[in-house]
Amino acid sequence: MSKSAGRRSLLCPRCDAPIDVSASTKSVPCPGCHRNIRTEDEVVNDYQARVEYYNEGHVEVAKKGIIIAEVRVRNLTIKGEVKGPVRARESVQIAKGGRLYGDVVAPTLSVEEGAVLVGRVEVGPKRAAPLDSPALDAVPQAG
Amino acid sequence: MPPMPPGGSETVLGADVTFKGECAYEGAMRIEGKFDGKITSKGRLAIGKTAHVSGEVTVGLVNVEGVFKGNVASSEKIELAASAQMTGDVRAPKLVVAEGATLVGNVVVSPDALKGAGSVERDAILSGHAPQPAPAVRR
Ligand SMILES: [Zn+2]
Repeated sequence: MSKSAGRRSLLCPRCDAPIDVSASTKSVPCPGCHRNIRTEDEVVNDYQARVEYYNEGHVEVAKKGIIIAEVRVRNLTIKGEVKGPVRARESVQIAKGGRLYGDVVAPTLSVEEGAVLVGRVEVGPKRAAPLDSPALDAVPQAG
Repeated sequence: MPPMPPGGSETVLGADVTFKGECAYEGAMRIEGKFDGKITSKGRLAIGKTAHVSGEVTVGLVNVEGVFKGNVASSEKIELAASAQMTGDVRAPKLVVAEGATLVGNVVVSPDALKGAGSVERDAILSGHAPQPAPAVRR
C-alpha cells in the first residue's frame, strides 16, 4: 500500500472528534473519547444483535444479514434487514428486498422499489447529521 | 412520468395557478402551481418542479419533483425525484427515493402499508424489537 493511497478524514461516531487515518486503517482509537473506532468497510452476512453498531466505513448488510442495533456509519447499503435507529454521515441505500425498521437521519437516502422502510425519516442535503445532536430525535438544521 | 393510460386525460394546474380546496379526479393530474387542500383520486398525481402543494393527498400513484407538505397515502407507489422536498407522513406499498431528495416525516412503506397495520406495526417495530440503544451522548 503506497503512501499516496491516501488518507481519510473521519469523525468519531461517538464524540465527533476529527480523526485522520490512512485509507487502509481498520480501526483507530479516538483521540476524543479514547474508544476504538472501526473504520473498515464491512459486509454483514449474519445476524448481529447488539446495543450499538458503529463503523466509520461503508457497511453493506447482505441479503442474509440482519443488524439489530443503534447504527452509526458513514454509508449504509441494506439488502437484508436493519432494526434500530440509523444515522449515516453520507448515505443510506435500501435495495430491493432490503428492510429498514427504524428512524433514519442521513444527507441522502435512496430507496429502491420493493424495499421496506418503516420509521421516521430525516433526509436531505441539510441533514448532515452532526453527531453531537441528541441522537435521532432532534437533528438541528445545519447552518 | 409514466405514459398516459389509454383514454385517460390529464388535468394540469399550471405554474400561475393557486388553488385552495378539495379536488377529486379520475385519470391523472399534474400540478405546477400552488395547491392547498385535499386531493383524492385512484389515479396519478404529478407534483411538478415548480409546484408547492400542501394538504392531504390520497391517490394511486404520486410523483414528486417539487415541494410538498402534508400527508400522502398512495395505493400504488410514491416516487420522489432528486429535486423533491417533502415534509409529512408517507404511506405506500412502494416508495422510490432518488438520491438528493429531501424527506422528513414518518414513513410506512411495505407491501401491506395500506392494510391498516401501518401505525401499529410501526409502533411495535420501533419500540419493541431493537435493544435499547445506548444514550446518544456520553461525556
Ligand atoms: Zn470519540
